[in-house]
Amino acid sequence: MVDLEKLKTAARETVSRDDVKYLIGWRQGTYGFRVSPHFVKEPEEAEKLIFSPLCTNNLATYLVLTERLPLPRGEQPDSRKVALMVKGCDSRAVVQQLIEQGIKRESVLIIGCPCEGVIDLKKVEEKFPHLPGPAQARWSNGNIVFHLPDGDKEVPKGEVLAAKCLSCRYPNPVMTDLMLWEEVQTRGNDEYDDITELEAKSPQERWLFWEDKFSSCIRCYSCRNVCPMCYCEDCVLDRLNPAWVFRSNNISENTAFHLARAFHLAGRCIECGECERVCPVGIPLMKLNRKLAKEVKEKYEYIPGLDPESKPLQSSYRPDDKEDFIL
Amino acid sequence: MDTKKLSKDKFGDFMAILSRQKKLYVPQKEGESLRFAPVTAGSQPDLAFPNTTVPPKSVLFPQTETLYQFEQGNTDMSLPGEGEERVLFGVRPCDARAMAIVDSLFSWDVDDPYYLTRREQTTLLGLSCLEPGTNCFCTSVGGGPASTEGLDMLLTDLGEAFLLQTVTEKGEKIIQSVPELLEEATAEDLKAAEKLSQEAAVRIARGIDTDGIPEKLPGLWENPLWKDFSESCLGCGICTFLCPTCHCFDIQDEMEGFEGRRCRMWDSCMFSEYTLHASGHNPRPSRHERTRNRVNHKYSYFVKNFGTIACVGCGRCINLCPVNIDILNILSQVVKEAI
Amino acid sequence: MKEQFEPNVVAFLCNWCSYAGADLAGTSRIQYPSNLNVIRVMCSGRVNPLFVVNALQQGADGVLISGCHPGDCHYMEGNFYARRRFALMKELLEYVGVDARRFNMSWVSASEGSKWKDVVQGVVEKAKEAGPFEQFRRNKINW
Repeated sequence: MVDLEKLKTAARETVSRDDVKYLIGWRQGTYGFRVSPHFVKEPEEAEKLIFSPLCTNNLATYLVLTERLPLPRGEQPDSRKVALMVKGCDSRAVVQQLIEQGIKRESVLIIGCPCEGVIDLKKVEEKFPHLPGPAQARWSNGNIVFHLPDGDKEVPKGEVLAAKCLSCRYPNPVMTDLMLWEEVQTRGNDEYDDITELEAKSPQERWLFWEDKFSSCIRCYSCRNVCPMCYCEDCVLDRLNPAWVFRSNNISENTAFHLARAFHLAGRCIECGECERVCPVGIPLMKLNRKLAKEVKEKYEYIPGLDPESKPLQSSYRPDDKEDFIL
Repeated sequence: MDTKKLSKDKFGDFMAILSRQKKLYVPQKEGESLRFAPVTAGSQPDLAFPNTTVPPKSVLFPQTETLYQFEQGNTDMSLPGEGEERVLFGVRPCDARAMAIVDSLFSWDVDDPYYLTRREQTTLLGLSCLEPGTNCFCTSVGGGPASTEGLDMLLTDLGEAFLLQTVTEKGEKIIQSVPELLEEATAEDLKAAEKLSQEAAVRIARGIDTDGIPEKLPGLWENPLWKDFSESCLGCGICTFLCPTCHCFDIQDEMEGFEGRRCRMWDSCMFSEYTLHASGHNPRPSRHERTRNRVNHKYSYFVKNFGTIACVGCGRCINLCPVNIDILNILSQVVKEAI
Repeated sequence: MKEQFEPNVVAFLCNWCSYAGADLAGTSRIQYPSNLNVIRVMCSGRVNPLFVVNALQQGADGVLISGCHPGDCHYMEGNFYARRRFALMKELLEYVGVDARRFNMSWVSASEGSKWKDVVQGVVEKAKEAGPFEQFRRNKINW
């Protein structure tokens, strides 16, 4: 059960430590069921922290999004820890970053929040449109209770939960320094049914499906920027010489962009679904990522973001890897 | 100017005539997003929206646009062909105001022939906004649900019919080309439209008093508010690419074999490459400087240069920001800090 | 008579095995289709998946990546990495609707001149069947 008081106390204690720079959690957004990442630097700021079905953001992104600006001469970099609140999926992102040595274990303090599933904002806003004021929600006996201006409204999880949560295999953080409350039961087993469904179509049908989606892309790169696994200092998509992917917006470059983005996550994507959530034009990016996740699981029995001691999929091999496709 | 009435059962004919006269763009679904696209056989206009996902600037100032083409080893270059006359139907008053605002930029010190020609060739038919969205705040920045600024004609849905109010000669011409479909509008119709838009304006729930903000912003250059608000910024281009008044572009050469083109494409001040110098130095190295620039550009620099706020209150940047960076929140903090 | 479609196949060959194998096929006067555009790379592990995407964008109708047999890599393990990488890339390309016949990978050693001929014949034949690649080719329609 979510215990907000415990969460706030833990946060206050954490940010009071000398070796902690700040804590990243969630706070109520400015309107409706929006939530914003909350950076807690002083103990009193912990009061605003929340944890509810609205906390969709994967905060692990901020571990690798930190700007490393050149320091004035003689100044030392701030090497204090960053404390991070994680759901199950978020914790896998942290573990994958550790596997790839994108971050150091001693630079992060993981506070685990076992999670009963977060909402799909689109589904909720369709149900409860036009809420100019902030509104909250909570879990309650398998349902989600929305606090609306005209009273509480209880909705079954199946109607409002994000697709990734309905088949979630890892609701509990896989690695923590502090677990805030008891673990929740694992809900589903992901069989990748949506992927199998698309695979069953003919190549022409699949292309028509993706052509429509890719051509609506506006190349805002929010999918790349929000991804906790996209943290190259110099992204191949920003390169101009050589230009791997031209900046112009047309089906050719957009497809190249989406193939490059998806492929760079092969064996790395921890399926938090952030890319799909943030896409302003609703491209089903998880259908690309999950296809690769499915192949990685089937071909190499590899699931990213679970074992910090494991080696990244694409920088390791087994001599007997399948090669039935090779002539 | 002229006011006429178009009964709804003649609406189909009206659109058919328009599409024969000029290239007609209406809001249509592409993938999951709504944007202005040319009418083709079987395409369905989608008018039941607070606003399109992609603003109509994508037609007048396309995301990618060829400036000229060239061939390797040859100094000749060829310009893109003359455009064609087009009509955009269903433009919301806020987006039309945005075009009026962008006009002043593209005809500032140097006329931009690409944009201005296209603007000249385009007739904007607006649709009064009777169901404002959650984050609409056009009334705070000088607009309104039935504002006609930037439009050539405004249509208002009266239930059984549309009220047509022409604003410019381009709008007049449209009316003159379909006399058989139109009736005279009565004083009651005008009153009804007025009432509808007033009711819509009342329903706009969010807003801010912008008085004094342009003057206050320069004094807040080093204020911690920028860092606070941009801490969670991902540095993506949603807020700028989908802003109807954002007009920054990048110019690139693209080669295909021995042929090439110079083209311009949308760029975003929220990207770090936007200000990156060839030397490697970046004058806006972090996200808080970039957020500060975005707000300042809309609410301070543009006001200084053109006398108007470059924000029309369409609410897209608030609706679509993945981390809930809310420009109204930033502005209200600006007001508080500046006292 | 309608001219037969001649596909344009881009081949990335590793310097140590497949390029030498192709060379052997040449010096042994083995006949094979001339639709191939060979790009020599130091190792099949050097081939970036974006090479494949870019080749398709720029006019390739088929792509072939060829390296040393597993265990024979000049750099000990480059082809093992390539194998994982392109097993996934092949799935991804097919998933977005690219014809499965367009993407091929083979192991050809420096002594396999005749295998090289068979591989090329097969790849070109498949690309011919798949027809001209148009799905996300860069074209100048929008210029």
